[in-house]
Amino acid sequence: MTVTLMKTPAETAYADAFRPQGALAEQRKSAFAQFAETGLPHRRMEDWKWTDLRQMISKALPPAHGTNADARIIDGLIAATPFGDVARARLVFVDGAYDEARSTMPASGDVEFVTLGSDKLPGWLSDSFAAASTDPIAALNMAYMSDGAALRFAKGANIDAPIELLFVTTGTKAATYTTRNVIVLEDGASATLIETHIGGEAEYVHNSVTQLHVGENARLDRVKVQEEGLEGIHLSNTDVHLAGKAHLQDFTLTIGGRATRQQGFITFEGEHTESHVSGAFLLTGKQHNDTRLVIDHAVPNCLSRELFKCVMDQSARGIFQGKAIVRRDAQKTDGNQSSNALLLSDDAEFDAKPELEIYADDVVCGHGATSGDLDENHLFYLGTRGIPETEAKSMLIAAFAGEAFDSVASEAIRDVLTGLAKGWLARRQGA
Amino acid sequence: MLEIKNLHVKLAEEDKQIIKGLDLTLHAGEVAAIMGPNGSGKSTLSYVLAGRPGYEVTEGSITFRDRDLLAMETDERAAAGVFLAFQYPIEIPGVATMQFLKVALNSQRKARGEAEMTTPDFMRLVREKAAKLNVTTDMLKRPVNVGFSGGEKKRAEILQMSVLEPSLCVLDETDSGLDIDALRLVAEGVNALRSPERAMLVITHYQRLLDYIVPDKVHVMSDGRIVKSGGKELALELEKDGYAAYAA
Repeated sequence: MTVTLMKTPAETAYADAFRPQGALAEQRKSAFAQFAETGLPHRRMEDWKWTDLRQMISKALPPAHGTNADARIIDGLIAATPFGDVARARLVFVDGAYDEARSTMPASGDVEFVTLGSDKLPGWLSDSFAAASTDPIAALNMAYMSDGAALRFAKGANIDAPIELLFVTTGTKAATYTTRNVIVLEDGASATLIETHIGGEAEYVHNSVTQLHVGENARLDRVKVQEEGLEGIHLSNTDVHLAGKAHLQDFTLTIGGRATRQQGFITFEGEHTESHVSGAFLLTGKQHNDTRLVIDHAVPNCLSRELFKCVMDQSARGIFQGKAIVRRDAQKTDGNQSSNALLLSDDAEFDAKPELEIYADDVVCGHGATSGDLDENHLFYLGTRGIPETEAKSMLIAAFAGEAFDSVASEAIRDVLTGLAKGWLARRQGA
Repeated sequence: MLEIKNLHVKLAEEDKQIIKGLDLTLHAGEVAAIMGPNGSGKSTLSYVLAGRPGYEVTEGSITFRDRDLLAMETDERAAAGVFLAFQYPIEIPGVATMQFLKVALNSQRKARGEAEMTTPDFMRLVREKAAKLNVTTDMLKRPVNVGFSGGEKKRAEILQMSVLEPSLCVLDETDSGLDIDALRLVAEGVNALRSPERAMLVITHYQRLLDYIVPDKVHVMSDGRIVKSGGKELALELEKDGYAAYAA
């Protein structure tokens, strides 16, 4: 029996606003049709069983882009980026639209930058829009994406200076903002990219897609920090294609948002390639974070590592779904994933769903998930040295989350992450 | 300095009495050894002094420098001068030894109303003390006790003790797991801390440690009580005759 669900007010708003125009109209139409097949994901869909967007996005949040917000509000949110001194270039998007006046362009001529909101998109870009996945939220993103950064790093270019993509949602309107980034590293290029999301207080949805194409022998260090407003819903899809001998180092810190669903799809397309994906959640109140990763070992001799450290206080809920697929030809695959949860309250909850789908026979793959509260012996030991309990707890929580920070190569960025964790702990102590 | 009167302690969860009317007095400047068979309650005594959760004092009192020790939290006891060197020092992943020591020292100073020590002063202090105990810079950078050998852990405990400068040092089986060279090094570190203002309680099963840390007094503990007290010669007697005479 097929059950046809009634459209929710949010789905109705998405359908009513749909008027595709311009060069991407055909792609947008087919993407919206794909979204319309399922509508907003709900708990009867296996991958979404913990995150029912039909319920979470309960009212109409029509698609929007561009802002009427007061300049002081915008400047205040931009100033809140923790990477103020670390980023050497900053591309700022406010309420889903590029803000040229507030941006600083990358200095190097080896970096090509185009905004996706511009009328004329270069050929290399439109070719890379191939559907990120069959995911309905990624499809909805294609249908409505209003702007975002396309960056192309030339062959062999080494751009050490971090480039920040800063997405600010002012929260002045109950709306859905849709952005997309396309990052291409040509063969032998290397780059450090920061993606920051900061939001104001109102209820909104930010639907974000980032497509990463990492060429042969190229290396990408990417750090994402999500500090959406506490009524904000953050939906993100990161779609990664790694060519031979490429190296990806990816880290995500989630502090903000009422609800977060972030998905990563990583495909190995060439041999001797490495992917290190890690992250930390620091959640409190009724925050919800559902992180799902799908690592596709399509070719032999690749290495993947995933490490997620999840801290949940009060009634927060964390979910980690990690899936590794090892195709029949992908011999000598070395894959390992682990998720560790620290529950600071009896009402906090963590669910882990590790999945291995292995079709090759000569592989080393493992996964592990742990969940627990702070160790009494650790607290006692710190106490015997004169460290008061609240301080001892903060030290232990910071140490727990900090293990995931170690994967970030840049010391300056690690210091920023440590500072963000400290800020979270200070607010917790003050609460 | 320390006055324990009629102490009764049970395990909170098991309703099992471990210390059954223990009396002990320790004066400033004194080094007292507590010897006894396994299960006599020696380690429990050290935990109760440090304030470990899970132990319930059902009767008796502990007075430390005229204060009611049992009314104080673990960290307050440390700030007041109590230090426990663990038999099995706890490994704390993710917390660098240097950072841990600095937070510990400055927490204690803050609790005592003293100014916090600056980072350069602190680094100088630790480096100087660490060199004497053969604690390497590499160990100080590593997380607390993680990946340390048995000997390294004990040396790190003594380093903490010499940096924090407590007035009461409780050493719980500090000799366990040490070879003779490591034992000598640790003992030298402890002896360097002997002073007229400081008291030490050296808990050990074997006499061996007392060749290196020579006590002023020896107390024999059995079945949760001090059953005999004497001078350092008592330790040699125990080594020869064993604990059989004191069995419960």
